[in-house]
Amino acid sequence: MKVMRVILFSWEYPPRIVGQLADYVKELAVQLVKNNVETYVVTYHDFLTGQRDELEGVKTYRVTNPVRTHIGVLTWVLTLNQEVERAAANIYYNASKQVDLIDAHDWHFIPAAVTLKKALNIPFIYSVESLEDQRSHGADSPFNMAIRSIERLGMHEAEKILAKSEWMRNEVFRIYKVPLEKVKVISPKSTNWMTDVLETYRSVAGGIISK
Amino acid sequence: MTRELTVIMLTWEFPPRIIGGISPHVYYLSKSLARNNVKVYVVTCDFPGAPQHEIVDGVEVFRIDSYKNPSPDFATWVYLMNVNMQKEAAALVNSLGGKVDVFHAHDWLVANAGIGLKHVFRKPLLVTIHSTEIGRRNGIHFDYERMIHETEAWLTYEAWKVICCSDYMVSHVRWAFGLPEDKVVMIPNGVNAEEYAKTEKDHLSRFRGKFALPEEKIVLFVGRLVYEKGVHVLINAVPKVLEKVKAKFIIVGNGYMKEQLSNLVKNMGLAHKVLFTGFVDDETLRKLQKCADVSVAPSLFEPFGIVALEAMAAKTPVVVSDTGGLSEIVEHDVTGVKVYANNPDSLAWGITRVLLNDAYANRIKTNAYEKVQEKYNWNKIAQRTKAVYEAVLNECSKSVWA
Repeated sequence: MKVMRVILFSWEYPPRIVGQLADYVKELAVQLVKNNVETYVVTYHDFLTGQRDELEGVKTYRVTNPVRTHIGVLTWVLTLNQEVERAAANIYYNASKQVDLIDAHDWHFIPAAVTLKKALNIPFIYSVESLEDQRSHGADSPFNMAIRSIERLGMHEAEKILAKSEWMRNEVFRIYKVPLEKVKVISPKSTNWMTDVLETYRSVAGGIISK
Repeated sequence: MTRELTVIMLTWEFPPRIIGGISPHVYYLSKSLARNNVKVYVVTCDFPGAPQHEIVDGVEVFRIDSYKNPSPDFATWVYLMNVNMQKEAAALVNSLGGKVDVFHAHDWLVANAGIGLKHVFRKPLLVTIHSTEIGRRNGIHFDYERMIHETEAWLTYEAWKVICCSDYMVSHVRWAFGLPEDKVVMIPNGVNAEEYAKTEKDHLSRFRGKFALPEEKIVLFVGRLVYEKGVHVLINAVPKVLEKVKAKFIIVGNGYMKEQLSNLVKNMGLAHKVLFTGFVDDETLRKLQKCADVSVAPSLFEPFGIVALEAMAAKTPVVVSDTGGLSEIVEHDVTGVKVYANNPDSLAWGITRVLLNDAYANRIKTNAYEKVQEKYNWNKIAQRTKAVYEAVLNECSKSVWA
């Protein structure tokens, strides 16, 4: 079987740890490499690390926000996305224009994933760690609505959505009315975790199914 | 280059959506580029009643969903709108098989989309900087303003070339963002003289009668009623002009100083001589510009000064303050009269110089009209813009992206 080339998007990655996502994405990346997947991570540069490194076979690109002054996390995220696109495009062009899949973790880099899909036909998976509705307890300010609109865009444009529990799968359905068959549950605690991840990746890799 | 050039024009406003000067600018530029064998796709914000896709004067226009949810603030809306704009433009370029030569962005309002597209397609990005946050706000005072300022800086950093509409703006933009000299190109703004040629001045006597008595000369001001436009300077010049000549002063536009200015006029006992019209439609504006005996631009700060060009195209003599872009448009005693900025005596002197000497007025307005045809002509501006595209493509063809 041909080697898959995958880019993971995450706004946190060790040593930058904000919540639970950083360690999860790290473990995912390392296990993917062990399973013969060429794995790149595009993440935020926290000034603790170099801009690029390769640890345990995982090629990491860290990008810095080109706009330093911000009025909130939303504007911060939205200007960071172009740098994520730049890093991903560099990977794509340096790898003879062949990236099989992007796995975007949470909402932050969904705009970049969508643009890369539309521009370069790279399909993406939206891996859900948490949702704005839960983080903000259903708050309905323009700020929350904006983040939800980005999550909704991701739900709509992704080839598959990965939830880490049945509960989250139902939340995705409840909030975004995504058809349940588009949402797959893969528990990080399950013994089949990596097998299921690889199987899902293979089902999506290399082709955009949805329009 | 024999092959047709293809450009994706990114702008947050395009007719019928008109917010400021970018909309008519992009419209005339795109249309004139199309006439010069450039394939232009405009990607812009949607507008009620305007189709999502249409061809206007040879230009293909795509209108995107400009993010209708309430936004926390204007800048956040701009960034959210850019998510949609980038997505739609990416799909468009993909549908064209990536056969696009350059992306051309207008102001920071489309910075994210322009920069993202440049990198995913590896095609050069150009930007026209029409205005800057630091200029609009006369400095950077809050984080919100600094964020916009840094977004503008980021856009000029990512752009292959930065186009500005006046020498004044070239030096301003170089100062504001620390740009090297060879990165910034001056291509003037244009005016469409044909629009004014449609109406003959002789047919406007009834129209004129609604604004002024037959024996009164018309002195016209067009612009936002804000401090930097210097309307208060004009009002202070009114009595000095009236000492010498019968005149009516017509002030077109709105702004936060409207109340203050009309109180000033009343307190000076000039209410019968100064008329505030507020906003007027395009046709009325053009007719007024044609009827006027003199058009004044008494600005204290002016990046370009399109109103002076419009008056020149309408064959009306102009009196402008010697500042910013106005200094470059007008040559004193040749294509208009230049006066000291913020000086009512000097302004009154300039206005009466025109109103009391018909031969002089005729000479400067004829020269001015020729200048408009020669330098501020959209066809020539499009050719100069196309030459910049070609120069950039030539440089790009030798880069690692080629």
